[in-house]
Amino acid sequence: MSWKRELEELERRKELARQMGGFERIERHRSKGKYTVRERIDRLLDENTFHEAGAIAGRGVYDEDGQLVDFTPGNFLTGTGRVNGRKVVVGADDFTVRGGASDGAVRGKQEYAERMAHDLQLPMIRLVDGTGGGGSVKQLEEMGHTYVPVNPAWDYVVKNMGTVPVVSACLGSVAGLGAARVTASHFSVMVAETAQLFVAGPPVVKYGVGEDLTKEQLGGVKVHRSSGAIDNVASSEDEAFEQMKAFLSYLPPNVWELPPVQKSNDDRYRKEERLLEAIPRNRRRPYKIREILPLIFDQTSIFEIGRYYGGGTVTGLARLDGHPVGFLAPDPFVGGGGLTAESCEKIERFVDLCETFHLPIVNLVDQPGMAIGLGAEKKGTIRKGVRAIAAIYQATVPMIEIILRRVFGVGGAGMSNGHGLNLRYAWPSGDWGSLPIEGGIQVAYRRQLEESENPQQLLEELTAKMEQIRSPLLTAEAFGIEEIIDPRETRPLLCEWVDDAYRLLPQQLGRTSHTMRP
Amino acid sequence: MKTISTNMAGNVWKINVAVGEEVDEGQEVIILESMKMEIPIEAQEGGTITSILINEGDFVDEGEAIIELE
Repeated sequence: MSWKRELEELERRKELARQMGGFERIERHRSKGKYTVRERIDRLLDENTFHEAGAIAGRGVYDEDGQLVDFTPGNFLTGTGRVNGRKVVVGADDFTVRGGASDGAVRGKQEYAERMAHDLQLPMIRLVDGTGGGGSVKQLEEMGHTYVPVNPAWDYVVKNMGTVPVVSACLGSVAGLGAARVTASHFSVMVAETAQLFVAGPPVVKYGVGEDLTKEQLGGVKVHRSSGAIDNVASSEDEAFEQMKAFLSYLPPNVWELPPVQKSNDDRYRKEERLLEAIPRNRRRPYKIREILPLIFDQTSIFEIGRYYGGGTVTGLARLDGHPVGFLAPDPFVGGGGLTAESCEKIERFVDLCETFHLPIVNLVDQPGMAIGLGAEKKGTIRKGVRAIAAIYQATVPMIEIILRRVFGVGGAGMSNGHGLNLRYAWPSGDWGSLPIEGGIQVAYRRQLEESENPQQLLEELTAKMEQIRSPLLTAEAFGIEEIIDPRETRPLLCEWVDDAYRLLPQQLGRTSHTMRP
Repeated sequence: MKTISTNMAGNVWKINVAVGEEVDEGQEVIILESMKMEIPIEAQEGGTITSILINEGDFVDEGEAIIELE
């Protein structure tokens, strides 16, 4: 009298669903160096934690007696699981079933995934492959009519940006809706060689605009690591999963919880001698910022995001005594570290990320100002610049500024909220003003220099006088800068600050006033 | 034929290589002066230099080709 028979039928259907697109398609998929969708989920999640929803959703084929003779599962899998012990929602495309396109899909599953993340308040992980549920011509044939398109679950996709961490991976040739699902996220990573990302693939591009390019040329990592479409690049699917898990480890599961604090093995009072010489005395010499970061933050905690887009500014996550923070830092090797249209976009998005998930921000400043010249003007750099500055002013998360060297112009001033408490500390290498003195002297004293008998000597005298005036200690004397510190004290100072910052965070929990846009 | 191009606008301050020289990917080939700093420009690919398209003191734009290699 039991229901055993139905459970056996259920198990049989689950087994059929586990075949995915069938042996041949799986082999072809694997031969390209890609994992199957079920392998990806297994490798991403903690062992045995995947709890699938809709495991037997798909299309059955029945004989005249109504018996199931064949079965194709839907090409999207979803469910919950754990990543390093923390619960998440996963939504993953199965490329072996109709290339992930909508004619192989089961209605409602993608939406169910996004809804689960939103309502259970858990991070959303999207493993995207193929068209990610986009339409296909085959489907029109089946339906016998076309339709006005709607992006499935997009109300939740948009809401989730302000609710839970959304992390996505581009794991194959991803176009259209799939590309949208990759990029509508807080963090996206694509895999070199096996993955490409584009609005439309080569055949549509050739037909639409006449450009004849391969998938790699149109949307491979060489294009996208510096396009701003995605955040990071990985050399393998396993590395992509590691990056996604790393990103999630700094963030809370949703906006109502605090970022997870870990126990740290790194001494919070560590004072590195190398910091005393980190900034060259020669103002024209750049320095390698990535060698400086581990001298300040917990050594193995630095996770850089978007390195090759807007490279003049470095953005990333790190920890101070186990407390997650976001950081901004200069890379003087790229345009002197000046603000470009791209780095301003990157900064705006990054500050919004920290604001959304209540990550305090450490701002290491060496800012010569916004990029100048015709190329910069054509990109509307000033407009992008003021947007980035507005994001910084609007941020309510605790922020601390460490001035490493330059603060010049609107760009320099905009790197911190000069009208709030503006908690900041300067290294003795600090060098600031509205305009840099080189070039400024020639403008200000042009008449005297032209009329002088020995203009070279006059210029040297004026420069020497300005050198004296330029000392950051004189600014401190006027309380124009609150505190100048020994660079070796930076880590202990920041570890003290992070305790204070985390004390303020509970008051700020919840949604931000405007939901972050991708 | 391959080219090395700049990733930012600036003035060519120093050219550190010569025609006929073999360079590796990542090797510093010129130093640009930009935003009042001396920024080294690296070769995006390796090869033997066939032609240097700029002189010290020239202005170059972002993405401009500066060296040809094979």
